[in-house]
Amino acid sequence: MSAVDTPAAAEPRTRRIIPLLVFALAVALLVATPFLPNYHIRVINGLLIYILLGIGLNIVIGYAGLLDLGFVAFYAVGAYTYALLASPQFDLHLPFLLILLIAAFLGMLTGILLGIPVLKLRGDYLAIVTLGFGEIIRIVMNNVDWLTGGPQGIARLDKASVFGIEFARPVEIYFLLLVIVFTVAVLVWRMERSILGKAWAAIREDQDAARGIGINTTNAKLAAFATSASIGSIAGVIFAASQRFVSPESFTLQESVLIVLMIVVGGIGNILGIVAGATILILLPEVLREFAEWRILFLGLLMIVLIIIRPAGIVPRSFGPDKLIRGLFGK
Amino acid sequence: MTLIFQNIRKQYGSNVAIDDVSTEFVPGLIHGIIGPNGAGKSTLINMTAGSYAVSSGAIVLDGRQMQSLKKYEIANSGIARTYQNIRLFDQMTALENLEVCYYPTEVGATWREVLWPPFGRSQRERRREACMEILRFFNLQGYASAEAGSLPYGRQRMLEIARALVMNPRVLLLDEPAAGLNHHETAELTAKLAELRSPDRIMIIVEHDMDLVMTLCDRIVVMHHGKLLFQGTPAEVQANPDVQLAYLGTANDIDEIRAAAQDRRAKLGIRARQRS
Ligand SMILES: Nc1ncnc2c1ncn2[C@@H]1O[C@H](COP(=O)(O)OP(=O)(O)OP(=O)(O)O)[C@@H](O)[C@H]1O
Ligand SMILES: [Mg+2]
Repeated sequence: MSAVDTPAAAEPRTRRIIPLLVFALAVALLVATPFLPNYHIRVINGLLIYILLGIGLNIVIGYAGLLDLGFVAFYAVGAYTYALLASPQFDLHLPFLLILLIAAFLGMLTGILLGIPVLKLRGDYLAIVTLGFGEIIRIVMNNVDWLTGGPQGIARLDKASVFGIEFARPVEIYFLLLVIVFTVAVLVWRMERSILGKAWAAIREDQDAARGIGINTTNAKLAAFATSASIGSIAGVIFAASQRFVSPESFTLQESVLIVLMIVVGGIGNILGIVAGATILILLPEVLREFAEWRILFLGLLMIVLIIIRPAGIVPRSFGPDKLIRGLFGK
Repeated sequence: MTLIFQNIRKQYGSNVAIDDVSTEFVPGLIHGIIGPNGAGKSTLINMTAGSYAVSSGAIVLDGRQMQSLKKYEIANSGIARTYQNIRLFDQMTALENLEVCYYPTEVGATWREVLWPPFGRSQRERRREACMEILRFFNLQGYASAEAGSLPYGRQRMLEIARALVMNPRVLLLDEPAAGLNHHETAELTAKLAELRSPDRIMIIVEHDMDLVMTLCDRIVVMHHGKLLFQGTPAEVQANPDVQLAYLGTANDIDEIRAAAQDRRAKLGIRARQRS
C-alpha cells in the first residue's frame, strides 16, 4: 500500500465566496472609516486596539496553549508608561516612538517576570495566578498615588507625534493604528510560522513530547509571554495616546476576559479569527446600543450559539492568513 | 560510544519498578528489551530519555552521566524516543512534526527570520528537504501536509519513528513500535527498522511481538518484576529455561515462536544475524 495523497479537497466555489465577501467588506470599512463622523472613527480605533490586544494574547493562549487571564496588566504597563513619560505628571515629554520602544521593553520584562513563577503551571492554575497578577497591577495603579495619580489617573497626556507629524485627532490615530496593527499582525504571523512558532504549537499539543525532541520549554514559553506582553504594552501606549488620559478603570478583569472571549469566539490560534472575534464583540454592542438592556442578553445568546455551532471559532485555526491570500489571489 | 546502565533503580512510592539493573548497549546492534507486562521495560526507556528520574544508579552515555540532565538536554545530547502510546503533535502536519525537531539548532535565528524573510531561507529549504526525505523513507510523503492526528494508526506509529529519526539520534529508543499494527504493517516496520541499523547508532526496541524481536534483535535483555532476568542473543534467550518459565511459557511455544521467526526472516530476506 503506498501512502495516499490527502490534499484539502478542492473547495467548492461557494465556500470561497464567503471569505471573499467578508474580506471585501472589511476593506470597504477600512477605506470608508476616515470619512465617518469622529464618534464612529473612535469606535473603529477601539476595535483596532482590541485586535492588537487579541493578537498579543493569542500568542500565549492560541499558540502556546497557556490560559492567561491577566493580560490587561501588560496593557496597563504600556498605558502608564506613556502617561508617566509624556505628561505634566513628572513633566517628562519624551517622543512617542521612544516611549513605544520603552513600553515594548517594559512589557517584555513584566511578561518574563510573570512568566517565571507560573512556568510550571498549566490550565486552571495558570489562569488563576495570571488573573491575580492582573488584579495586582490594577490595585497598584489605584494605590500608588504619587506615581500613578491613584483612582484619578493621569490626565493631559501629550499628543503623540512621530517625526513632527501629530497623531491626535481620531482619524490620525486611526492611521497610526492601521500601520501598527498591520505591522504587528504580519510579524506575529511570521513568528507563528517560524521554528519558534512551531515549538509553541508542539508545547501546546504535548509539552512532555516537546521536551523529548529537545525543546527547552521554559525558554520557549518565556518567549511567548515576553512577545505577547510587549504587544499588549504597545497597545496600551496607543490607547493612552489616543485617550490622553489613563486611570485604573480601563484595566479591569473584565477587559482581560473580553479579550479571551474575542479569541475563543473568533478562532483560537488564528489572527483572522481574532479580527472576526473582535469585530463581533466590539462593533455589535455599538450597533445594538439602541436596544439598551436587551443588548447584553442578545450578546450572551450569540456567544452561546456561536460556541455551539462553531466550537473552533468563527474562523478556525486551519483557515489562516495563508489560506486567505491563496483564496484571494487564486494561487 | 556505549550506553551503560549502572545499578539503576526506580521506585514509585513503595513499588520497586526497577531493581538494580546493570547492562550495556553498543552501537551497530539492535538491542531488544522484553518481559511480561509491568516488568519495567517502559520505565527503563523513560529513565533513559529523561522522562522519569532514576531513584539511584547512573545512566552513562559515552562517558557522560545522563541521569541528572533535563529531558530536553538529554534529547539534545542525542537520545530520541517513541512512546508506547503514540504522542505526536496532533494538530501539526506530518511535515511540521519533523521540522519542529530543528528547534534547538535554529531557534537562535528566529528574530532575524521574522524581520527579514530571506534570512536563512536556503537553510529552511534544506531542512524541509531533509524532513521530506525521511517521510519518503517511511512512505509518508503523501501525508506531508495532513494533520498528524488525522493519519491512520499505523502511519502515526511510523511518523513517530520518523520524528525520532530526524533528530539524527545516537541512541534510538522505541517503546513497542509494533503495538496495534497489523501483520502487513509489522512486516513493513520490521524491514524499515532493519535498515536503520547503523554503526553509529545504538538501537533499543521494547516489544511484545516476538517475531519482530527475534528477527531484528542482536542482543536481548529480559526483564522480570523489575529485575534483569537474563541477557544474550535471541537463540540464547529462547533456550534459557528461566526465560521460558518466566515469560515465554512452555517449550512448545518456544518452538512455535522460533519457527515463526525463521519464517518471517526468510520472507523478508533479512539476514539480521549475519550482519552483527
Ligand atoms: N508513572 C508511574 N507511576 C507509578 N507506577 C508506575 C508508573 N509507571 C509504571 N509504574 C509501575 O512500574 C512497573 C513497571 O511498569 P512499566 O510501564 O515500566 O512496565 P512495562 O514492562 O513497560 O509493561 P508493559 O509491557 O505493560 O508496557 C509496573 O508495576 C507499573 O505499575
Ligand atoms: Mg511498557
